[in-house]
Amino acid sequence: MPRRYGPYGGAYVPETLIPALQELEAGWRSARKDSGFRRELAQLQQDWAGRPTPLYPASRLSAEIGGAQIFLKREDLVHGGAHKLNNALGQGLLSKRLGKKRLIAETGAGQHGVATAMVGAMLGLRTEVYMGEVDMERQKPNVERMRLLGATVHPVTQGTRTLKDAINEALRDWITNVETTHYLLGSAVGPHPFPSIVCDFQSVIGEEIRRQSRRHWGDVPDLAVACVGGGSNAIGTFHPLLSTRTKLLGVEAGGDGTGEGAASLTRGSPGVLHGMMTYLLQDDEGQILPTESLAPGLDYAGVGPEHAFLKDSGRVEYTATSDAEALRAFHLLARTEGILPALEPCHAVAVAVERARAMRRDEKIVITLSGRGDKDLEVVASHGHPA
Amino acid sequence: MATLREAIAARARTGKGSLLAYLMGGSVPPETYLETVDVLCSAGLTGLEVGFPFSDPMAEGPVIQKAASDALAAGMRWEGLLRLLPQVASRVPCAVMTYLNVLQHRGIPVALGDLAAAGASAVIVPDLPVEESAAFRSAGRKVGVDVVLLASPATSEERLRTLARRTGAFLYLVSRYGTTGVTNEKSLEGARTGPELSPLISAVHRDRPGLPVLVGFGVSTPEDVRRYRAMGADGVIVGSALQQLVARKAPSQEIADLARALAGALEETHG
Repeated sequence: MPRRYGPYGGAYVPETLIPALQELEAGWRSARKDSGFRRELAQLQQDWAGRPTPLYPASRLSAEIGGAQIFLKREDLVHGGAHKLNNALGQGLLSKRLGKKRLIAETGAGQHGVATAMVGAMLGLRTEVYMGEVDMERQKPNVERMRLLGATVHPVTQGTRTLKDAINEALRDWITNVETTHYLLGSAVGPHPFPSIVCDFQSVIGEEIRRQSRRHWGDVPDLAVACVGGGSNAIGTFHPLLSTRTKLLGVEAGGDGTGEGAASLTRGSPGVLHGMMTYLLQDDEGQILPTESLAPGLDYAGVGPEHAFLKDSGRVEYTATSDAEALRAFHLLARTEGILPALEPCHAVAVAVERARAMRRDEKIVITLSGRGDKDLEVVASHGHPA
Repeated sequence: MATLREAIAARARTGKGSLLAYLMGGSVPPETYLETVDVLCSAGLTGLEVGFPFSDPMAEGPVIQKAASDALAAGMRWEGLLRLLPQVASRVPCAVMTYLNVLQHRGIPVALGDLAAAGASAVIVPDLPVEESAAFRSAGRKVGVDVVLLASPATSEERLRTLARRTGAFLYLVSRYGTTGVTNEKSLEGARTGPELSPLISAVHRDRPGLPVLVGFGVSTPEDVRRYRAMGADGVIVGSALQQLVARKAPSQEIADLARALAGALEETHG
């Protein structure tokens, strides 16, 4: 389990959290070797979470674009409506194994909060979720879902009142209640060992893509595309494909074009936030900048440290696209394939269709459709319908 | 002016405890800041931690979080810190407390060099654990800035030995599970104070005799001071309780009264 990815990663946290991080690392090392744990996880992934998810040939979309064939990895069909459950289920089982009685989580779009609330209910663990006030307002259905699942939602009123500040508050809770509580971190970010653990639990996405693409066309994809906020669905997609010939492309949120959006890899610089060394959007004095994106799940000033490393190494290409392009992709997918995607993966769809146009018709693109769009209907509707 | 290390060591040698205060730089105008420092000094302050704001201070409770965002909103920048520090350092030995990214962004050797030149003799970085601190400490040694490490009730005895060996000036012992501040607002049990610290403190004293251990986080009353002195602490650090008074523009008499009461409690007991 790497502590660092090149210069990135590490564990820059207050001393109080060090023993808990060590305990978590040891717990995960032993759990992943334990066939009983792996069996229980696999069983629940199948019977409760609905895995494996399909790799769907989006033929009307591909025909409309005219270029490479596009396949959608349907993480929007995971129980709860997003890939977030892959990690929440794994860490939930792990925290039970560690004897923790209480789960806390941060959430941006609300999908990780919902996933944690579902896992908490299913495992009988008390669950509390920190969510920025701004995000609570723009993702109301998810707030209601968390409450119905028995979780307590704490509004975060500090700072930019979005994901970054929700992570701060969850970390403060963990510092205070670390003996009884597991912090179920939802993205491939934070101090070691979280980025590794989240990558391990999300890698089921890329592993299935490898198996399914072999079955569909007897080879790996030519290009795999995923959106990147903290980067958990992207690392889960990319990691199992790193050793293959597949080109990998991560798409960040470019925002409305007035600022830096939330594109820490494409527009940021290295620094330390939330316990990790990684690319950050920061000012000339190292203060973290406010971010803006229509997609709350991408609205974050940092990014997982493995992505920072993969960017520098050149193995993965990262780019950013705007709110407007993401919205266009939303309507395109809705009308050609009958799928309402979440705004987060719409960023991946927007860039992938551009790339598809420039590729041969026998080439294959896989887009990870990380979540469904029910949570975003209000936001999408407020931008009007396409002509 | 003595360094912070010398000032604390001098008091410890005569069995006296040290009183450190924390005030966020830039949260009030420099004149107000320095007047407060003068008030604290005449009440018996040993040293001052000058806070420098970071946008995302993960170890702080509401009072210091607010102080940080106020300071940033008022335009506090590194230059402002370098202007403030010499004026503080001419009054009392001082350290700077801030988060790693602020220093990292500037380049650790440059940042620590700036602080040394401006009169700070120590630096405290709550998100810098000992594992990540080697290059940082060596940069500190080059410019004469002690890097103060933090320990907590969660720290094992083995780790504590490492911390005691590597810390500079003193060991900052966090009093409890929680963030800074009087109420420890996120505690499920509503526990304002933490566990018994004497085993940790005596382990440090046994392992590195002469290294002062100062207790901070949630220290706000003379009773707190007496309790930590009885546990063997060589002093206390008071942050939010004072910052709160400064933030609400309390009369200097009130600040002086609190500081005098805390300093008085330190004199009563001889650890």
